[in-house]
Amino acid sequence: MIRFDNVTKTYDPRSRPALDGVSLEVSRGEFVFLVGASGSGKCTFIRLVLKEDHASHGAVHVAGRNVATIPSWRVPRLRRGIGVVFQDFRLLPNKTVFANVAFAMQVIGKSRPMIRETVPDVLRTVGLEGKNNRMPHELSGGEQQRVAIARAIVNRPGILLADEPTGNLDPTTSMGIMRVLERVNQNGTTVVMATHDDDIVDTLRKRVVELRNGRVVRDEAQGVYEGAIAAAAL
Amino acid sequence: MRAAFILSEIGLGLRRNLSMVISVVLVTFISLTFVGAAGLLQLQIGQMKGYWYDRVEIAVFLCVDNSTSPTCAAGPVTAEQRDAIRAMFGAENLSRYVSSVAYESQDDALRHFRDQFANSPIVDSVTADQLPESFRVSLVDAEKYEIIDEAFSSLPGVDVVSDQRELLERVFTVLNRASLGALLVAGIMTLCAVLLIATTIRLSAFSRRRETGIMRLVGASKAVIQLPFILEGVIAAVVGAVLASGTLWLSSSFLLTRLARQCPDTAFISAHQVLLLLPALILLAVLLAGASSLLTLQRYVKV
Ligand SMILES: Nc1ncnc2c1ncn2[C@@H]1O[C@H](COP(=O)(O)OP(=O)(O)OP(=O)(O)O)[C@@H](O)[C@H]1O
Ligand SMILES: [Mg+2]
Repeated sequence: MIRFDNVTKTYDPRSRPALDGVSLEVSRGEFVFLVGASGSGKCTFIRLVLKEDHASHGAVHVAGRNVATIPSWRVPRLRRGIGVVFQDFRLLPNKTVFANVAFAMQVIGKSRPMIRETVPDVLRTVGLEGKNNRMPHELSGGEQQRVAIARAIVNRPGILLADEPTGNLDPTTSMGIMRVLERVNQNGTTVVMATHDDDIVDTLRKRVVELRNGRVVRDEAQGVYEGAIAAAAL
Repeated sequence: MRAAFILSEIGLGLRRNLSMVISVVLVTFISLTFVGAAGLLQLQIGQMKGYWYDRVEIAVFLCVDNSTSPTCAAGPVTAEQRDAIRAMFGAENLSRYVSSVAYESQDDALRHFRDQFANSPIVDSVTADQLPESFRVSLVDAEKYEIIDEAFSSLPGVDVVSDQRELLERVFTVLNRASLGALLVAGIMTLCAVLLIATTIRLSAFSRRRETGIMRLVGASKAVIQLPFILEGVIAAVVGAVLASGTLWLSSSFLLTRLARQCPDTAFISAHQVLLLLPALILLAVLLAGASSLLTLQRYVKV
């Protein structure tokens, strides 16, 4: 679903690259944790998948297509196939829960009956039934993140990218969010989640890819947060 | 669905930015009023030049029934007098100054009169025998008017020799200056309008950066993201253009009827011609606003 072939991304030629010769394949339906210290290149990875930036070297393939060959007017179509969730939720403060989720359908031209049918379904999936008409400031952080997830998956993307989605939440709430992401994953969506949350990684035992200084230093199935290398160093 | 969505986005943008939108409306209103005024003055000049300019430089009018000059004491010009006058143009001492001579009969005069005053009510009350026949003379050197005046004005059968070029030139100079002045003001105001539209769009883009950021992420097309901003600028500018058109239309029709009454012997542009100018103003507003918002969006709204 996502394939990086020897990808290097250099923002500033005077400093080391943000990603340095990364090769990585994420298959359809997988759930992958992307871990690593601050500045190790996790955000950069996500930006390259979204074609928010282009790789300096190497090729990024998304859904079988080299994103470098997608003309700029086709980029919206690429992004329709990818949902994104951030640490800071990014909800529209003056729209209700329902309207925030519906917004993602409106702007790509979905019909009103379809929106009325789909949005409550998705809100139920993320555990927000009955909160359709709340405003974001009337929700807890965990609930706001659920709205953000609902918005990210409402157009049924094949890929969900989550950039530290639990970064602002307490452990219990975070676990709730992880249950939602797992459910999304079980419905067939490929999930890539960048995180610093060791508890979560250690509890879920999914595939773990560790970046350090822009290189992949570890890639293991059912991994934990602290890798063998780091553990040996301790 | 998408159209309804874009419309509601436009409404939101216009309301959020109301004071800026009002200033865009006012500035385009003023600038396009001046553009239109310059245009109307040019039309007016064209209307007058259309018949007169560089066709005729000097007119030697011959006597008619009601001519009052002493050379016409014997009544209307006779055929012999006319032939004598015509022969004078060929005379050796004059022919080198004259580049061409055309005879205009009373019927010709009436026809030209009707063309020139097509928009004026006096057309119907004039008959051919009220208009003088004339020789229309153009000179090799337009400054040599005096020579023709001296040679012809005392001939029997000649009513008056008039240098129309000079008179017209004076009128056209005044009109041209006025239209140039209007154009200058129009230019400056249009620049203001373009800059103001760009600023308004920038502010609007800034206040909606959250929405546009999310639209980008969920894969909204460039058109859906940018159209509300562009239309916001275009709508404000078109409202300004409509106000300008209304103002020009009302003031020009008011002025034209008054002027036509005061100066019944001058040709004025018609209301019809004023109406033709107004769609051009609205089109100009659309182009200006569209172009300046597109350029602004290129810089401030990533897609
Ligand atoms: N737009 C940019 N311009 C220049 N340098 C950048 C840019 N974005 C990121 N970088 C640099 O690239 C490196 C990797 O950054 P990135 O944001 O991918 O790290 P990260 O792993 O997501 O960090 P964190 O865990 O703190 O979010 C950093 O050294 C950062 O300074
Ligand atoms: Mg990051």
